[in-house]
Amino acid sequence: MKTTITLNVNGEEREVDVEPSDTLLDVLRAKIGVKSPKVGCERGDCGSCTVLLDGKSVRSCLVLAIEADGQGVITVEGLARDGANELQEAFVETNAFQCGFCAPGTVLSVSELLAKNPSPTVEEIKESISGNLCRCTGYEPIVEAVLTLTGKGTK
Amino acid sequence: MSDLKYVGTDSTRIDGLEKITGAATFVDDIDFGPNLLRAEIVESPHAHARIVSIDTSAAEDVPGVVRVVTGKDFPYRFGLYMKDRYIFAQDRVRFVGEQVAAVVARDPKVAKRAAKLVHVEYEELPPIFDPMEAIEGASCLIHPECERVPWFFPEADTNIAHCRKTRKGDVEAGFTEADVVLEDTYRVPRYAHCAIEPHVIVGQQDHSGRLTLWSASQSPHTQRNLFAESLAPLGLTHKDIRVITPYVGGGFGGKAGVTMEIIGAALATAVRGHPVKLRWTREQEFYNTYQRQGLVANLKIGAKSDGTITAIEHALYWDAGAYVEYGANVVNAVGLSATGPYRIPNVKIDSYCIYTNLPPGGPYRGFGYSEFHFGLESHMTRLAGMLGMDAVEFRKKNAIREGDTLAYGAEMNPSGLVEAIDKAAAAIEWGRPEEPLVPGNVVGKGFALMWKAPAMPPNAASAAFLKFNEDGSLNIAVSGMEIGQGYLTAMAQIAAEVLTVPVEKIRVETPDTDRNPYEWQNVGSHVTWGCGNAVKLAAEEAREKIFALVRRAHNACEKEDMLYLEDEKVKCRDNLEFELPLRDFVISGIQMEDGTFRGGPIMGTGMFMPEFTSALSDPETSQGGHPNVHYTVGAAGIVLEIDPATGKMRVRKTALAVDVGKAINPDLVNAQIVGGMVQGLATVLYEDMRFDDKGRMLNPNFTDYKIPTAMDVPDEIVPIIVEVPQPDGPFGARGVGEHTMIPAAPMVANAVEDALGLRITEMPVTAERVALAAQRLRESPS
Amino acid sequence: MPIAHEFDYVKPASLEEAVAILAERPGAQVLAGGTDLVGWLRDEFVEPSVLVDIKGLDGLHGIEFADGILSIGSLTTFTELIESETVRSHAPLLYEMGRTVASTGIRNRATVVGNICSAVPCCDAGPVLLVYDAIVHATGIAGARTIPIREWFVGNKRTVLPPDEIVTGVTIRLPMCGHGAAYVKLGRYRGEDLAQASVAVVSLPGNAYRIAFGAVAATPVRAQRIEAVLEGRELDQSAVDAAKGLVPEETSPITDVRASQEYRELMLPIMLERGLRAAVARRDGEGPEYGTRFI
Repeated sequence: MKTTITLNVNGEEREVDVEPSDTLLDVLRAKIGVKSPKVGCERGDCGSCTVLLDGKSVRSCLVLAIEADGQGVITVEGLARDGANELQEAFVETNAFQCGFCAPGTVLSVSELLAKNPSPTVEEIKESISGNLCRCTGYEPIVEAVLTLTGKGTK
Repeated sequence: MSDLKYVGTDSTRIDGLEKITGAATFVDDIDFGPNLLRAEIVESPHAHARIVSIDTSAAEDVPGVVRVVTGKDFPYRFGLYMKDRYIFAQDRVRFVGEQVAAVVARDPKVAKRAAKLVHVEYEELPPIFDPMEAIEGASCLIHPECERVPWFFPEADTNIAHCRKTRKGDVEAGFTEADVVLEDTYRVPRYAHCAIEPHVIVGQQDHSGRLTLWSASQSPHTQRNLFAESLAPLGLTHKDIRVITPYVGGGFGGKAGVTMEIIGAALATAVRGHPVKLRWTREQEFYNTYQRQGLVANLKIGAKSDGTITAIEHALYWDAGAYVEYGANVVNAVGLSATGPYRIPNVKIDSYCIYTNLPPGGPYRGFGYSEFHFGLESHMTRLAGMLGMDAVEFRKKNAIREGDTLAYGAEMNPSGLVEAIDKAAAAIEWGRPEEPLVPGNVVGKGFALMWKAPAMPPNAASAAFLKFNEDGSLNIAVSGMEIGQGYLTAMAQIAAEVLTVPVEKIRVETPDTDRNPYEWQNVGSHVTWGCGNAVKLAAEEAREKIFALVRRAHNACEKEDMLYLEDEKVKCRDNLEFELPLRDFVISGIQMEDGTFRGGPIMGTGMFMPEFTSALSDPETSQGGHPNVHYTVGAAGIVLEIDPATGKMRVRKTALAVDVGKAINPDLVNAQIVGGMVQGLATVLYEDMRFDDKGRMLNPNFTDYKIPTAMDVPDEIVPIIVEVPQPDGPFGARGVGEHTMIPAAPMVANAVEDALGLRITEMPVTAERVALAAQRLRESPS
Repeated sequence: MPIAHEFDYVKPASLEEAVAILAERPGAQVLAGGTDLVGWLRDEFVEPSVLVDIKGLDGLHGIEFADGILSIGSLTTFTELIESETVRSHAPLLYEMGRTVASTGIRNRATVVGNICSAVPCCDAGPVLLVYDAIVHATGIAGARTIPIREWFVGNKRTVLPPDEIVTGVTIRLPMCGHGAAYVKLGRYRGEDLAQASVAVVSLPGNAYRIAFGAVAATPVRAQRIEAVLEGRELDQSAVDAAKGLVPEETSPITDVRASQEYRELMLPIMLERGLRAAVARRDGEGPEYGTRFI
């Protein structure tokens, strides 16, 4: 049963036909063409499919696209429309990624944190990204990136 | 060396903006249009069974299904070191999850539904999971004989696929000479790589016969080679096959060699004209790629009362799984190096590669060294205790030095091991007692050394191609993989150093086997060394072409050796007026007075192969060969706070000092140390693979295979770089990628003993294991 | 791996419409946050004919406190729970528990009510709602009714709720002035994990105690024998020891992939003691702030 839904993706209204069983992740990647949310575990454990849905981070593998009808989706492509933003630049500066696969999701989780709490503690930063698994960095440089941005860093 | 401008600096990663803006393309991100097909695998539910029959008719009748294939369609073997693996199971299945058939459909949902309709009838055979049981009798021959490299020695009519024996001196005499002898058994379970990007391959054979694969791989050229070997009966040759590898979302050894990718290559030939995608689920990622092999290690070491180690006997029994085509070389590598970084006069090592009905073992960051170091470095601390010696002093006394004779007879390379020991010990204030942060907790310190050599065929080669662009910028084509380590950046820095072109003006290309030159594989922590040498040679060749052209076109500086490069200009030592910007001529040439031009586009090529290595040696002793290029060594320490009631551990501080020869990019070396240490700590504190009594994996997901989150990392990690140059490395560099996780497990076990007075000899050392051991100790101290 | 099972999706505008669909369509299933359900669809653990998305219904949102009753609408997410000042001041144990659930990307979507509807033995909300004596409010075509939380769980992933009813919320009666509480969760590490075992403790003025365990039986369980032995007693060492001694009678831990029976048995008395001591200290205006970890 195909249904047409409307998503506002990174500021653009997009209409797309979906089945009820299509996840938001698969629709974003295959039908909208936004590739930064990654398929990592498809059960909400790894966070690499993180997007902001009406401003809140969600696992797009655990959201049906049809549930998001009429809502707004932000991915890192949306953050970087005019070049990398300050947070992304801080990530580059501190090597807060290696393979880069988890980086889009992690950046979004931190963005959500900073929107609520512009000066987080180390513990708050760690908690905010604790749902974004990274096998490469050991997380330390991600925390450092945020601290650099908020002026608490050592670099 | 001191006037290096680019090498040794913390250059910003050249792939940074791509990766942080979502621009970086991974295989799964590539669009293939509406003709893309999707494949779903039919898997064995049994650990060991005979396939009686396969009925694919119901699946074939599902609308949208394009093709169903089984082992009958592809009766071919493949393998890197031993050709014992099948594209699809033939008459037998040998582990739970093994691919038996595949359904290719227009839509992944259709493929998933149809795969359930493939009916396979099995006759179950007795499985064997325990390597000690598998080695005992010949009751269960999991494998027949098969083609292999000449340095493997299968034992006929057994489950032993290979045994590497290393002998030096006289161990019996060594133990007789010893004042203390310690013997114990250590156990290490299987582990998963857990790259966040799953394996994915897209294959397409066009109607001209050309087969192109887009593969999330550490090994594009080795993949092409194995595809060509295995699919040769279909008429495919190397020229017909092209492997393209964009960015890869983490490897850790799991994407080396060939695992599921062979299925994608085979399926592409079955649905000519269509691209077909196979993406592993997270579950398949756990149970049907390489796993880190399990190990049972019997270790005996003797030492004199002055602390001198006299002998080591190390018997290693590897649970290598159902296919050992790659894993057997892990076993081999350890069989050569299981002395650890110590000078030991009398050595006996037996490293057994044993077939079991568990998923295939294979390469994993550390290549067997993490596994044997757990026992070895636990043993060193225990021996020091028996001798009443300080555990760091004991290690220092026996630490291997440059020029020492290795167990297999070759010489040890230059090494900063003693410096690393001193620095790591100082960083954690070894010997100084610590107060717990939480009352009631106890604090222990642990220490461990490590070493590792790249494990490669003796002729593993690297090549590089470099070309200038009109503005004097550079493109470099190589075929190592950017799997996160910053390889592209390091290669750019090496070229930048030779050609004085800033790193920002250099693009380093990810591999395409049609266009990029050869690299054996991105494994063994060898690409900075091997491919770095090739890039340096390519840059030097380009530089020599530049100098030859300038000498030819200008009279200004004709003498040999007078030309040099500085700030993207050619300059001349005996003509200080002379300077020629590269951008003025590297494409368009140099114009002469008569209006004609000299030169043309400047390019450089470099090839590198270690010409001193040989895998040929006496099979009974391993004497006579030179199997390893060099060892990277290091030392690590930890401050561990433990709640004795719950076993919960908090890593307050850990320090790792590694001798990298020369850090091409210190920031990136530090990133390897921090990331690798966390991965190593994860294997000891949190992770392990669990199987039930039918060989089914119980935790093939991140819900129950616990890789650390940001809340589960040490309070502080101190990376320490030691630089004793490697004479044959680019600017003195040697590899560092794998080494950073090797000392983690034993140093935790040693710290637990220091804190609680109990010794854990089985990994992982989880809170549960510590709490239960502490409880047992309270109930019956002794 | 895609969701291969096909189903319909409806998003009713009213509760009446929603319960009517549930009654009419066999195999209909309610969808709220979906963090469990979507995974179960992918695994084909559930195969509904139609999903009834209740996120469009009025009246199921929000947290309110009035007349001594704390109401949590069934669409309340864990993030909303954690960020609610009302919860922190009136039922801080809910806050402490919520902080241990998954991580932000899940908490933004997963609902407290969904947690008890999924009813896995390790659900974090279960033991906490048990010690708060919560009331579950459900509506079907026959009308609304209430179910005491103690009667709610009937087995692993099973509740008393029939398939044609919708939970509209839970309420907690809070004449609990001056109560102290603690949620002690044992996980394999500090980051996101399911409970290997959990203990919720409420300590009331007059030395009354309410205690419940999670992940150590087929359902979360209230520990009435321990409560009885502690009733009216100051929490001295003998009281603690008496309580710990009864743990084996209240729980039946098993060995699974997350922990061995032996480890759970060793940890439960320790967790209980830490929980009791923290709850009493908090009741008395001392003790660590809510959100602190005890393990």
